[in-house]
Amino acid sequence: MSAVWRASRGAVRRRKLQTTVIGLVVFGCTVTVVLALSVLAVTTAPFDDAFGKQRGAHVVASFDAATTTPAQLADTAHRPGVRAAAGPFAETTLEMPGDWLGYAPGSITVVGRADPGGPVDQVTLRAGRWATAPGEIVIESNDFPGRDLNVKITPKGLPPLTVVGYAASMSQSARGWVAPEEMAALHPTAYQMLYRFSSAGTDQQLHASLATATAGLPDGALTSAQTYLTLKQQFSAGADSFLPLLTAFGVLGLVIAVLLVGNVVSSAVVAGFRHIGVLKAIGFTPRQVVAVYLGMLLVPALVGAVLGSLVGAVLAVPFMKVAFGGISTGTADVSHPALWAPLSCVVGMPVLVALAALVPALRAGRLSATRAITAGSAPRAGRGLRVQRALSGSRLPRAVSLGLGQPFARPARTALTMAAIVLGVTAVTLATGLSSTIIAAGTSGSPPVGTGVEVDLGQAADHNQQEPKLSPAEIEARLRALPGTELLTRRYLTLVGMTGYSQSVYADFYGGDDWQREARVTVGRPPTGPDEVVAGPAFLAQHGLHLGDRITLELAGRRLPVAIVGEPLEGNAGVVTSNWQTALDLAPQHRVNSYEVRIASGTDSAAYVKAVRAIDPGLYPSVQEPSGATAPTVSVIGFTTVFSILLGSVAALGVFNTVLLNVRERRRELGMLKSIGMTPRQVTAMTVTSVAGLGLASAVIGVPFGILVHRVIVEHIPIMVFSESMKDVWHAPELIGLALAGVGIAVLGALVPARGAARLPIAEALRTE
Amino acid sequence: MTTDHKLTTVSPPGATTSRGDAVVRLAGVQKEYGDTKALDGLELEIRAGEAVAVMGPSGCGKSTMLNLVAGLDRATAGTVEVHGQDLGALDETALALFRRRHIGMIFQFFNLIDDLPALDNVALAAQLTGVSARQARRRALELLDELGVADRKDAYPAVLSGGQRQRIAVARALMNRPALLLADEPTGALDSRSGEQVMDLLIDLNQIGQTLLIVTHDPQLAHRCASRLVEVADGRVARETMLETPK
Ligand SMILES: Nc1ncnc2c1ncn2[C@@H]1O[C@H](COP(=O)(O)OP(=O)(O)OP(=O)(O)O)[C@@H](O)[C@H]1O
Ligand SMILES: [Mg+2]
Repeated sequence: MSAVWRASRGAVRRRKLQTTVIGLVVFGCTVTVVLALSVLAVTTAPFDDAFGKQRGAHVVASFDAATTTPAQLADTAHRPGVRAAAGPFAETTLEMPGDWLGYAPGSITVVGRADPGGPVDQVTLRAGRWATAPGEIVIESNDFPGRDLNVKITPKGLPPLTVVGYAASMSQSARGWVAPEEMAALHPTAYQMLYRFSSAGTDQQLHASLATATAGLPDGALTSAQTYLTLKQQFSAGADSFLPLLTAFGVLGLVIAVLLVGNVVSSAVVAGFRHIGVLKAIGFTPRQVVAVYLGMLLVPALVGAVLGSLVGAVLAVPFMKVAFGGISTGTADVSHPALWAPLSCVVGMPVLVALAALVPALRAGRLSATRAITAGSAPRAGRGLRVQRALSGSRLPRAVSLGLGQPFARPARTALTMAAIVLGVTAVTLATGLSSTIIAAGTSGSPPVGTGVEVDLGQAADHNQQEPKLSPAEIEARLRALPGTELLTRRYLTLVGMTGYSQSVYADFYGGDDWQREARVTVGRPPTGPDEVVAGPAFLAQHGLHLGDRITLELAGRRLPVAIVGEPLEGNAGVVTSNWQTALDLAPQHRVNSYEVRIASGTDSAAYVKAVRAIDPGLYPSVQEPSGATAPTVSVIGFTTVFSILLGSVAALGVFNTVLLNVRERRRELGMLKSIGMTPRQVTAMTVTSVAGLGLASAVIGVPFGILVHRVIVEHIPIMVFSESMKDVWHAPELIGLALAGVGIAVLGALVPARGAARLPIAEALRTE
Repeated sequence: MTTDHKLTTVSPPGATTSRGDAVVRLAGVQKEYGDTKALDGLELEIRAGEAVAVMGPSGCGKSTMLNLVAGLDRATAGTVEVHGQDLGALDETALALFRRRHIGMIFQFFNLIDDLPALDNVALAAQLTGVSARQARRRALELLDELGVADRKDAYPAVLSGGQRQRIAVARALMNRPALLLADEPTGALDSRSGEQVMDLLIDLNQIGQTLLIVTHDPQLAHRCASRLVEVADGRVARETMLETPK
């Protein structure tokens, strides 16, 4: 084997550049694949992981305390089909006033539990400790760990409670927990049971299991039941919306990587045919020849795969932060990407390289020595020759027509290179389209000019603020009278109940000037009439509702049926938006939380803010950045950009490799062309056009393909509905730019070897035989 | 024995060079490759219309000298003047244009493009200078005709005999009416019959005024084609012999 090893080492050393390129391509592809796999892993598993770890409740059930006893409920734990149960826990609803801990006012569910553990719903403490003494409460906080501890909150009509901890429950069993002894003071009205069932795969199974468990309880005892499937859908709505997108890029990355590695490796073997002939002539067996070539390729492949996996694993951390920046992930962890992705690449990439090399290497091993030495000088396929002939007779400058003909000399290599450029162009097209759509969507709500000033009204519950002394009507009149005020919108945000659903939702009411803009309706119409609301696709999906359905909102004992008349672009899954008239109908005692003021351009915003403060010390104005970029916007643009840059450069690297091999194979031809007077500029032109044509052809395929993929994705993002104008983002300049991207990728890859070809010393090129 | 054809299309450039003027002037030429001195103070002058054969042992610097004259490489020291032009003063592009206009080259291994038929291989030389495809093909066909290979115009190099390939290479070298035709072992890869045909072609070309510089190992070729024999050893001219004017 030592002769084989020595020959491999020699081959690597003599082909430094090619070896480097193979290493680089494998490196770039490995990074791409690691990122793609990490993202794909997270988009599928995190809810199940976190839910499993907490032994989450399949069903969170509430029972009326007036009709059932704790003993009856405890019995349900032993019914057939119940694998585990916790409870009964006393449950109550607290009315939270004003702004509490940064949340909007409204009613919350609080449960009495002695400890966060147990057989079901093992709540994770994220800060502080569990509530053990009277007057203490732990607040559910999935998204923001580590808020202020030991602050006091005061439910309506009750003494204040001290927040001693924050906890996350993937089952979302309550908004707050207190010690069981404290519960009596809070006047419980219900009992909570947490169940895990043996049959819990579908909604139907869950309802059947629950029916079996609660059979025999008095009618109307079960007041609400929340299944984990709803939560899962709600949780993954955020991640799901990006799933089609991430999948598209992940798959593109994988395919490009495989194509390029195959191309680079197999053409290295084909380019080595002469060398193979020499090896055989000096007595290497076919098997040894195959071994030499595998050895020669696996060295750079291993180095590239190991380095690529390392860099990919390191990059995955910030990359995931960008990719999931705008998505609520609860206790699920995206900051530690799966290790199996880089690890499998360390093994998988060299295997891929070996497979790609094996086919041509085996062929080479079987070639006779003389055939191998003369390979490449035989006349080639007829179609290619006919094209060359037509090009010779064309009116194009000869250097250009020679270049255009080159791809036809090696159809297989050309096809693989072109496939890589096509996918590179597809990636760039997709990224451009998505960014345009997201930007169009992001700016759809904001007027084109002017600065916004948000004026918050001070909350009594907040120790750092004071309530305004003036009435809302007076404040509004004074704000309107300020010089520079153009438009004024008032807002009232409150938690409300929804008849037939256990989770409360936010109702977001707008009034004043231009309030419809805030609703950002893309499908249906804005909620202009009384008792009309709009709700986003995530809200509708999660509550099993459709455009046109009616729901009933509840607030402080009042019920108001409303109609869903439209869908905003990107509704939060827990928000309905409506107009001021509806606010008056539902909550006559409503108040204003804030005003949004659009000030005339040219107005000094600092002076304006000062003037607002002067109206009433209870007003807290702040200047809004005039940017439509929301967190998901940034993350979509961020990772599509990262991916398209990666894929574009890997594709360019593939072109680089192809041109490098072509130039090497055509050394003598180049020497001859230069000897008969081809200038360096003509050589460069010829070499660049040899792939620029491919680039253009690839763009012709890749751009429409990218447009198609873009269309499929924007129509299948579950939590966003885009209007037609947001989906149709293609204009002539963009399309031309994208076509140029294909040419750009090709030219970029060709430039360095082209310059090398132009500088090729002629005498030496002609000498090599 | 000459070919039956009259070489009318192959008129050598008379405009700027008249018979007797120096076409090549090498003075004190040195060429080093690292530690190897390929040429070491070589002196040589070739006049218009001459046919000069260069001989010498392997590795003595014959090909190196030819490459310098063709402007394919640069001398380490000394002057290389061709057609009144100091090649050392030209940049790469100017050298390419110089080769295009004034130099025709033929090689031991032909160096034809495999993907192009004979006609397009020949036409290529003119097309590079911007001549239209039609015009170039017309002149290429005339040349192929005069060199006796017009019937092979559509054949690809791989199916041609060595002698036919070399004649096509000669046609390509003559496309732009070069002042100087350079040949490095033009018969080295040919059997004796094909070799003789190529020799006859070179003699005919010289007789109508084409200046020739031929590097060869073959004394017969040197004596039949050349009017002067230059023997090179260790990178310099060791001996010059005037030969009988070729028949
Ligand atoms: N590109 C190069 N790099 C290094 N050495 C070179 C190069 N070209 C030529 N030489 C060296 O210069 C010397 C002259 O070479 P050249 O090819 O001119 O010889 P030659 O007379 O043509 O020989 P032959 O009859 O074998 O063709 C040789 O020693 C050769 O090894
Ligand atoms: Mg030589």
